[in-house]
Amino acid sequence: MTQEITFWVLAVIAVLGALVAVRRRNLIHGVFALMIFFAALSGLFLLLLAEFIAAVQILVYIGAVGILLLFAIMLTERVTGDDARDITSRGSFWGWAAALAVLVFLLLPAIQSADLAQTAQPHIPSVKALGHKLMEPYVVTLEVLALLLTAALIGAVAASQGGEKTKEDSDDA
Amino acid sequence: MSFELIKDILIATVPLLVIFPSLFAFTTWMERKALARIQNRIGPNKTGIPCTRIGLFGLGQPAADGIKMIFKEDIVPRGADRLFHLLAPILALIPAMLILCFLPLEFPWGKFMSAPVQAFLLDSAVIFFFAISGLTTLAIFMAGWASRNKYSLLGGMRAVAQMVSYEIPLVLSAVVVVMMVGSLNAKEIADAQTGFNWFVFTPWGLAAFVIFFIAALAETNRSPFDLPEAESEIIAGYFTEYSGFKFALFFLGEYIAMFAISGLAVTLFLGAGDGPFLTSAPWLSVVWFIVKIFGLIAVMIWLRGTLPRLRVDQLMAFAWKFLLPISIFNILLAGLSHFALDARVAATSDAILYSIHAPHTHSGAVNHAPPKLVAGQKEAVMGALHYTDKNWVGAMEWFFKAALKGHVQSRSILAWWFGIWAMGLTVLYVMAKGLDNVSRSEVKPREYLYAE
Repeated sequence: MTQEITFWVLAVIAVLGALVAVRRRNLIHGVFALMIFFAALSGLFLLLLAEFIAAVQILVYIGAVGILLLFAIMLTERVTGDDARDITSRGSFWGWAAALAVLVFLLLPAIQSADLAQTAQPHIPSVKALGHKLMEPYVVTLEVLALLLTAALIGAVAASQGGEKTKEDSDDA
Repeated sequence: MSFELIKDILIATVPLLVIFPSLFAFTTWMERKALARIQNRIGPNKTGIPCTRIGLFGLGQPAADGIKMIFKEDIVPRGADRLFHLLAPILALIPAMLILCFLPLEFPWGKFMSAPVQAFLLDSAVIFFFAISGLTTLAIFMAGWASRNKYSLLGGMRAVAQMVSYEIPLVLSAVVVVMMVGSLNAKEIADAQTGFNWFVFTPWGLAAFVIFFIAALAETNRSPFDLPEAESEIIAGYFTEYSGFKFALFFLGEYIAMFAISGLAVTLFLGAGDGPFLTSAPWLSVVWFIVKIFGLIAVMIWLRGTLPRLRVDQLMAFAWKFLLPISIFNILLAGLSHFALDARVAATSDAILYSIHAPHTHSGAVNHAPPKLVAGQKEAVMGALHYTDKNWVGAMEWFFKAALKGHVQSRSILAWWFGIWAMGLTVLYVMAKGLDNVSRSEVKPREYLYAE
C-alpha cells in the first residue's frame, strides 16, 4: 500500500516535471523542471530496490548533465524566453502522431511481451553484484569505455586550446 | 500507512533534525569566539539571559541572531525571478539535511525501540552521499541567477565551477577506503575500523584524509576557498540579495553541510563512533562521533582565521593539477601496498601453519602430542588470524610479540609493514613536491598602463 502511494506520487511528479520542462519558454525553469523529473525517476528506481542506479541517476543526470545544461544555456542569448508566446507550431500534428506511433507500435508490444516480475526482487546487495559483473564478464567493455572517455577528455582539452599558435598570434598577445 | 512505520520514521529522523540545528547554533558562537581570539578581540560576551546582566560568555548570541533574522524585512529585487528567489534557500537546506541520514550514527534509544539505528541504511550510502551533496551546487546557482544581480551571478558561477572541480578529488579520496573495506555501506565501513583500526593510521589513508579535508573545505565554501562569497570582491556572492529568514536558511544549510561532510570524513577515516570505553558504555559511540565532528569543525574555524583567500586561477590549478593526480596516484599506491602486505602475511601464516602441522600429519599422531612450537610461533599465528579479520592494529601487536620472542618471519612482516609506511609516505611526499612545482599557475605581473 505504502509502495503504491509512493509510486503514484513519484509518477505524477515525474510526468508533471517532464511536461513543464517541455512547455516552458524560460530555459532555466525548463532545466530545473527536467531535474525534478530526474529526481522523481531516481525515486522510482529506489522503489524498485535499484539503489545504485538511483544514486547514479542523481549523480550523473542532476549533478553532471544538469549543470552542463545550465552552463550551455548561460552561453545563449535571451535565456528567459517570452512566456506568453504559444509554443505549438504548425507541425505539431505530426509530432503527436509520431509520439503515439512509437508508444503503440514499439513500447506497448515490448512491455506486453516482456516477462516482468510483479514485485521487486528481495534485497540483495546490488552494488556488489554490479561490481562483480563489471569486473568479471564485462571488464573488456569497461576498459574500452574508459579508454574512449579518456580520449574524449584529451580531445576536449586539445580542442579548447585552439589550433597551433602562429608567430603573429603570439606577437599580438 | 501504519502507525509503526510513522513512529519508526520519526524516531530515526527527529534526532537528526533536532541535534544538528542546535549544534549549528552552538557552532556559530564557537566560530565567533575563536575568530575573535585569533584576531585579538573578545567576541560576543554580552548576550546571555535576557533582562539580566548575566553574560554567559555570549552564549545567547545565536538566539538573538535568530530572532533578528526572523523579524527582518524580506527584500526581493524588482527584476528577480520571485519563485526561484524563494526556492533557492530551501533547496540549499534540503540536501544538507538529507545527507545526514547516511551517517552511521547509532543513537542509544535505537536499541530499546524497534527503530533502525541509522536513518537510512543503504548498501550504496557513500555514493548516495556524494550524489545528494552535489545538489547544493544547484541551489547556489539558482540563488545567483534568480537575484538578477551581477555580483550574485558571478558568485553563483564561481561556486558551480569550484564545487564541480573539487567534487572529483573528494570522491577519489573516498575510493581508497571503499577499496579497503570492499563496501559502500557506511555501517560496514564504520565496523571495519573498530578497535582503533582507523584508516588515517595507514599512509594511503592519511593522504586520502588530507585530500578529502581540503576538498571538503572547497565543497562547503569555507575559507580559504570562500571565493563564491568573497566579501572584498563580490559583496557576498550568491546571497548578496538575500536578507532575513532566507539568509538564515542559507547560513543554516552551509553549516549543516559542514557537519555532514565532516561526519563523512569521520566515518571514512576517523573510525566513526570508535573510541575508548566503548565496551562498558556503548552509548558513548554517538558522543565520540560528534566530538570528532567538532574536532574537524574546529580545524576549519582555525584555518578560516589564519589563511588568506585563493585566487580563481590558483583554485582551479590546485584542484586539477595537484589534488586530482595525487588522489589517483594514492589509489594506485593503496592497492599496491595493501595487496603486497596481504600476500606477505598470507604466505608467512601458511608457512607457519605448515611447519606446525606437517611433521605430525604423516606419522598419523595428530591429536596425541601437541605440536612443539618454536618461540613466537603461536603469536605469529594469532597475528595472522587477526590480520585476516582486518584487525590490523591487533595483528601488528601479535606480530610484535612474536618478533620480541625471536620469531624471524614475524620480524620480516613487521619490516614490511614499516617499509610500506616509509615508502608510502616518501613516495607521496615526493609526488606532492613534484606536483607543487608543476601545478603553480603562472600569472605574469600586471603591466601598468599608466605611468606613475
